[in-house]
Amino acid sequence: VSTDGVEVEVDAAAEPMFELPDELAIDTGVARRVIAEFIRGQLRQAGFERAVLGLSGGIDSALVAYLVAEAIGAERLLCVMMPYRTSSPASQGDAEAVVAALGCASELVEITAMVDGYFGADGVQGEGGSDSLEATALRRGNFMARMRMATLYDRSVPWRGLVVGTGNKTESLIGYTTLFGDSACAFNPIGDLYKSQVRQLSAALGVPEAVIRKAPSADLWPGQTDETEAGFTYPVLDRLLFWRVDRRRSVDDMVEMGFDRTLVERVDRMIAGAEFKRQVPPIAKLGPRTAGVDYLYPRRRPGSART
Amino acid sequence: VQPLRIALAQIAPRLGDLEANLARHHELIAAARDLDAGLVVFPELGLTGYQLQDLAADVAMRAEDPRLADLAEAARGLSAVVSFVEESPDHRLFIAAALLEDGEVRHVHRKVFLPTYGLFDERRFFAPGDVVRATPSRLGVGVGLAICEDFWHVSTPQLLAMDGAQLLINVSSSPGRDLASTNEVGLGTAASWRTLMRTYAQLTTSFVVFCNRVGVDESLSFWGGSEVIGPTGAAIFGAPMFEEGLYTADIDLGDVRRERITLPLLRDERPELVGREWDRIVRGRAGLAEDTGQ
Repeated sequence: VSTDGVEVEVDAAAEPMFELPDELAIDTGVARRVIAEFIRGQLRQAGFERAVLGLSGGIDSALVAYLVAEAIGAERLLCVMMPYRTSSPASQGDAEAVVAALGCASELVEITAMVDGYFGADGVQGEGGSDSLEATALRRGNFMARMRMATLYDRSVPWRGLVVGTGNKTESLIGYTTLFGDSACAFNPIGDLYKSQVRQLSAALGVPEAVIRKAPSADLWPGQTDETEAGFTYPVLDRLLFWRVDRRRSVDDMVEMGFDRTLVERVDRMIAGAEFKRQVPPIAKLGPRTAGVDYLYPRRRPGSART
Repeated sequence: VQPLRIALAQIAPRLGDLEANLARHHELIAAARDLDAGLVVFPELGLTGYQLQDLAADVAMRAEDPRLADLAEAARGLSAVVSFVEESPDHRLFIAAALLEDGEVRHVHRKVFLPTYGLFDERRFFAPGDVVRATPSRLGVGVGLAICEDFWHVSTPQLLAMDGAQLLINVSSSPGRDLASTNEVGLGTAASWRTLMRTYAQLTTSFVVFCNRVGVDESLSFWGGSEVIGPTGAAIFGAPMFEEGLYTADIDLGDVRRERITLPLLRDERPELVGREWDRIVRGRAGLAEDTGQ
């Protein structure tokens, strides 16, 4: 635990659930009020009463499930669990614990057949072509994320709900997300919260402790964790992003504050390299009024709600 | 004793839905009357919603629009402050607030300071007002209207008070941001506003009425927390944050006289000095002033 962080403890004897840097601590009561109203507002403006999200067993989607349940009631929430054959059974158990605690509807949709149908399995080539059996983990991971997206958007139709995003600010800034995959959604209630803040808010909402404590993972292969893969811990990365992005500190300022220059510059490159993932694709400007350029409307206005 | 009951309509306008918002205004004006209010205040762009972008032209009204006249008629017997997109005869669009009294539009204030930075993009869609002026009112005191960002410029409350306002009314659509747990009320925006309003009330020895909307437009959540501050700078009433409602506060307008006798700050203002120095600064910035070496 860094010297300037506070430890959040369940009880005096226990290990702290997570490390929360001081400058990232938020007023969770206000956050819950704002987010609940945001969720209700987004649904109302779109003419929907229900929501659907992909529940992985990780903390981000668990927190969003709790927030949606708090905002509109668990009976209006559908959690879809979409494991692949190599997904951790523990994740599945954690997701089921969240569903049981909230009392919301849930569905289990295995994506194994979809993914293996494309990449192949057991030495048999899939629809993805001759090199698909040797596809990299990156290709496979992105494809899985997009199969989950396709599943969610399909399940949203019979459920008559909007797809709620579950990506946090940390992963969005460094680009640890799949375009048109896990980042696809109708709206995102936690996209402006760093991972450390997701943990703080999760604790306040009573997300199961096991979900808060476990190491974040994309669960693309057994034993994978975000932090070993990326080479830094979330409290360090979150502090770095907060000072660099939110507080506009220069690289030199950051080094003076004690951050490692190599790390700051590496994260800078990640942020810049992921800019395209955070924006709507540009349209070639040709006509008099172009969406996103000089045709600027709110996403929802009178007449745009589903009736 | 000059008692006045103020009704703060802390509403969540429907974005772009002028008809729905007009209906809501009529409802709440009637409700304010039932509560024996003498003044009812609605938030910035309460008739249209805030994040309009290109919708602004579609919901714009002329100051003499019959729908505003209807509201004024409905408010007869009390004073009402409503806010809308005003289209001038030469087709500029303004963020406007109108004081409705005795069945007519008594005064229109056009937002002077249009934030166009950070999360704001107002100057892209609106023209800035050019006038800061207090207006006499049936309430027996001068009223000064201001809109949101107008109060982030210290000149606005000062000009209004010097021009005769004893009741400063700021209508806002202030989006909440900065949830740092160290904030006074859990929200950085709210903490800043609370400081400003207390300071202005005390420095102008006037009542400050702040009506801020609630609800959500797109990404933005508006935090409410409407307030009434007395001429000593002390809070008289604070509405809850984020809760839609029609809240009332009772004030004694006689407090202004008592405070101004006790603390004659306005008497001691030096408008001619301020004007002279402003004029010098303006000329200096334009490269016109001589360096006097003083």
